[in-house]
Amino acid sequence: MTTEITGKLNELERRGLEAVAACDDPRQLESLRVSLLGRKGELTEILRGLASLSPEERPEVGKIANRVKEALTSAIDRRKAELAELEEVRRAQQTFFDWTLPGRSLPPGRTHLIARTAREVVDVFRAMGFKVAWGPDVETEYYNFDALNTPSDHPARDSHDTFYVRPGVVLRTQTSPVQIRVMERTQPPVAIVAPGRVYRVDWDATHSPMFFQIEGLLVDRDVTFADLKGTLTHFVREYFGPKTQVRFRPHFFPFTEPSAEMDILWTAPDREGGGMKTRWLEMLGCGMVHPKVFEAVGYDYQKYSGFAFGMGVDRIAMVRHGINAIAHLYENDLRFLEQF
Amino acid sequence: MLISLNWLREYVDLPETVEELCERLTLLGLEIEKITRPGEGIDKVIIGQVLSVEPHPNADKLSVCRTDVGAGEPLQIVCGATNMKPGDKVPTALVGATLPGGFEIGRRKMRGVESAGMMCSARELGLGEDHMGLLILPEDAPIGQDIRTYLGLDDTILEIEVTPNRGDWASMIGVARELAAWFGREFRVPRAVPGEGSQPVQALTSVTIEDPEGCPRYIARVIEGVKVGPSPDWMARRLTAAGMRPINNVVDVTNYVLMETGHPLHAFDYDRLAENRIVVRRARSGEQITTLDGERRNLTPDMLVIADARCPQAVAGIMGGADSEVTENSTRILLESAVFQPSLIRRTAKNLGLVTEAAQHFQQGADWNMAEYAINRAADLILQLAGGTLAAGLWDAAPNPPAPVSVRLRHDRVASFLGVEMPVDAQRKTLELLGFTPEAQDDCSTTFRVPSWRVHDVSMETDLLEELARFYGYDRLPETLPPVRANAMVFAPYDEPQEKVRRFLADRGLTEVFNWTFSSPALVERAGLPESFAQLVRLSNPLTENHVGMRTSLIPGLLSVAERNARRGAPGLAVFELGPVFHLPAGGEVTPDTLPDEPPALAVLLGGSTPQHWNIPARNYDLYDLKGIVESLAAWLRVDLRFRPVENPWPLFVPGQAAELLLRDQVVGRAGQVSGRVIRAFDLPFDCCVAELDLRAIFDVPSDLPQFQELPAFPPSTRDLAVLVDRSLPAGDLLEAVREKGGAILRDAKIFDVYTGKQVAPDRKSVAISLVFQSPERTLTDADTQQAFDRIVKHLERKFQATLR
Repeated sequence: MTTEITGKLNELERRGLEAVAACDDPRQLESLRVSLLGRKGELTEILRGLASLSPEERPEVGKIANRVKEALTSAIDRRKAELAELEEVRRAQQTFFDWTLPGRSLPPGRTHLIARTAREVVDVFRAMGFKVAWGPDVETEYYNFDALNTPSDHPARDSHDTFYVRPGVVLRTQTSPVQIRVMERTQPPVAIVAPGRVYRVDWDATHSPMFFQIEGLLVDRDVTFADLKGTLTHFVREYFGPKTQVRFRPHFFPFTEPSAEMDILWTAPDREGGGMKTRWLEMLGCGMVHPKVFEAVGYDYQKYSGFAFGMGVDRIAMVRHGINAIAHLYENDLRFLEQF
Repeated sequence: MLISLNWLREYVDLPETVEELCERLTLLGLEIEKITRPGEGIDKVIIGQVLSVEPHPNADKLSVCRTDVGAGEPLQIVCGATNMKPGDKVPTALVGATLPGGFEIGRRKMRGVESAGMMCSARELGLGEDHMGLLILPEDAPIGQDIRTYLGLDDTILEIEVTPNRGDWASMIGVARELAAWFGREFRVPRAVPGEGSQPVQALTSVTIEDPEGCPRYIARVIEGVKVGPSPDWMARRLTAAGMRPINNVVDVTNYVLMETGHPLHAFDYDRLAENRIVVRRARSGEQITTLDGERRNLTPDMLVIADARCPQAVAGIMGGADSEVTENSTRILLESAVFQPSLIRRTAKNLGLVTEAAQHFQQGADWNMAEYAINRAADLILQLAGGTLAAGLWDAAPNPPAPVSVRLRHDRVASFLGVEMPVDAQRKTLELLGFTPEAQDDCSTTFRVPSWRVHDVSMETDLLEELARFYGYDRLPETLPPVRANAMVFAPYDEPQEKVRRFLADRGLTEVFNWTFSSPALVERAGLPESFAQLVRLSNPLTENHVGMRTSLIPGLLSVAERNARRGAPGLAVFELGPVFHLPAGGEVTPDTLPDEPPALAVLLGGSTPQHWNIPARNYDLYDLKGIVESLAAWLRVDLRFRPVENPWPLFVPGQAAELLLRDQVVGRAGQVSGRVIRAFDLPFDCCVAELDLRAIFDVPSDLPQFQELPAFPPSTRDLAVLVDRSLPAGDLLEAVREKGGAILRDAKIFDVYTGKQVAPDRKSVAISLVFQSPERTLTDADTQQAFDRIVKHLERKFQATLR
């Protein structure tokens, strides 16, 4: 009796393993499991014969039956995993992922080149400890000129150069009046940068009647011309690259003394001649705050000194990006804006 | 100003190379705008003399010349010009010569006749446009001399920009003085001691100054018996190099001396002056003068004139009059050298629209002492070039000699202000080199007398410090980083929030634009904004009629951007702008005490098609896109911004598709679909929607600091609800009703579908709402949620005649 059942079990194991190995469909595999191991399956059928065995024989046969069951179960599971893997590979082979197609995303937006450039410049100074200040675009002649030591008959005040709202009120021609407004409101130490729109009656290939400047001012005890040089050189190295060469030249502004212009040595593609061209480019105007300016805001010139600087953001953006006409900056042609 | 280096060399020896010179001038503060070398490209061109001119055997329009070039046999040259005759001196390019533009001269045959060179026109030498014939040189031109030497083409011309504080630099002597000081070289000033006749000038003329403030100094000299004629070549060449046109020897001398000294002079025809005398006075009302340029000009009493006994003969310091002009017929001349008040000259030049060389010099301030040197130098040159007898003495009417200017320098200021240690000796020496004379000194300071040519510029200690910095070399000064100590005040409260908004919108896929801030009532009208927006802060001198004032809204600018880009083929755009708008102050009048209000604003415009994508169907932007952007911005700024529909909106908007934006019951902006009228006015091929927000109003509302809410410990339970309601019922009302009856356990209610169409009656719509129930205290049972659900449905049925789907 024992041998008969054992033989059947071994036979079932052999056939079952063969059938599992041959099966290549997950659904068939599932029905195979049912027919082999299910409640009405072959194994159950064979085990019915246990009843006819003696109590001594049963455990031995039971052990064999368990082994067969485990062997078949694990074979089916393994095969199932194999088939799943094969299916995955098959499906992957059917699908083609095209890495050259653009992904789904928001369209690329961007800040305006002027705003971005201004921010980058301002951020260099903010990192040094300067604070941002704003002033009005429609400004008094007093702040724009008088307090900045610009004589009343100075040519810059001419209506050929300056927009007037009425006598005494202008569109600011520079961000320098913010210096005065700030100093009027506070005592030293002062360290500000003032970005903003400025206006001049000038409209041609190289001029825009509105453009963008950043003013800087630092006032404290014992501020020197060497500090001015150091601060601006630091800015240039941070913004234009650590090896950028800088040159300071004497210049004249009514509200600084001594005054200077700062050039940087800049290498850029030469549009006309081809190749690269290196030359000195004027970058900003600067100087030590004029005693008359301190006088205008009630600072003690004997006690404090300071420096100021002003730069054209348009110019900086144009130099860095090789833009050849200022008009592009304010035309807002998307084909231009989307390049930056 | 143009500086000829050949001319400049007369006063100081220059460095080896032009590059070295230019670098030094630049570092001294004199900007070099341009360097030109007129003789550049000319080589082996010498002066030849035409010996014979024969017709060419094979060509009507050519001739065969023999030209003596001073060495060897005369050359046979075939020539196409017709203006030469035997004996003429002409520029002759030898075989192997080059001309400007790289043109090389070779030996060649022209129509069978050998030609060994070329005779040149002015244009062929790069000397102007004249190519009608050969450049015929004066008879005394030395045969064989290099044409560059002869014509002064071996020169370099610097175009310099003089800053307004350094009027003294606008002259040969001024530049030479600075270079001599820097290089430590000899400064050669030409002698100016003209030989005088016996008759005193007082016997011939007199000068009366009626306005000593406008004219603090007037010097006159008289020369009799001059012979007016052309200037010699050397002078004509120098004037040409300096950009001036030679006229006659007397006028040319005044111009020459102006270039040399920077001091403008004028020469009158003495005999044309009524009573032969000079009166410096204000013009009388109604007086007129015909100036040298032939213009009849009206004078006003705020103008200073140089008059004779009767009428104005010159506009002081600006231009002479035609009546007393020195001509070929003049024999006696009166030379003027004066000092005028700079502001007076500036005003008059501006009012007459006559900005002459002289006016520019006087505007920057004349050198009191130079006035005397200049007139003597001019008199000397006139005697040399035009002959005559100089009356003895000067008529020097100087009622107001200026007080000398002295400035004290505290020597320790160099270290504390410039940041460099400079020995006291070096400080004194530098300033002395620059013409400052030490007058007094103590342990810590020296007082210097300012030289006459610097009194317009130097009046304070900082001016001396600038001189020391300049001569030490800005490039040599050290670089130090100061401690940056800012105080705690806030000068731009909106700067950082505005920057955040900028980045947020760009990150959402919008492109920022930057418009000019100008506007006009016509543009406001075209953009469909109400009349109040046409109340601009107006400019009194606008550039064009489109820029008459300052913008009151960003919307017209954005519509213009859409217009421009649509015209250039853009199928759609999503843009925004940040910046100030300008509102008239209360009372409506801008004054220095009541400036306009300039709040920062934001506007967004969406128009046309969304970008193309292979997998996301392109569609047109609509108002829900715009609303979404505004909502997400508000959420991100943590402000409770609401939309209130406007029944009768501005002409800008489509009625029924416009809303006001409310923040705490205050209107802080508007949004809506742009009306057909405005779409057509801007010639747009697609629909747009716009929103504008007053950022200041939004930034001024303090946003609440978020406070932590305990995370729910029990699971949520979700139910979906779909109801049919009247088509025009706002979904928001429905949601509000849902929340009202949902009770404490309704945590969230969201609309996830709105449907109108075939399966729904035409006047109805289906709204599907997802409900989330959750209790902080326990796990909800089905009975709990069902109860709440039923309560909500019953309420909707009663309130909106809703039917459950």
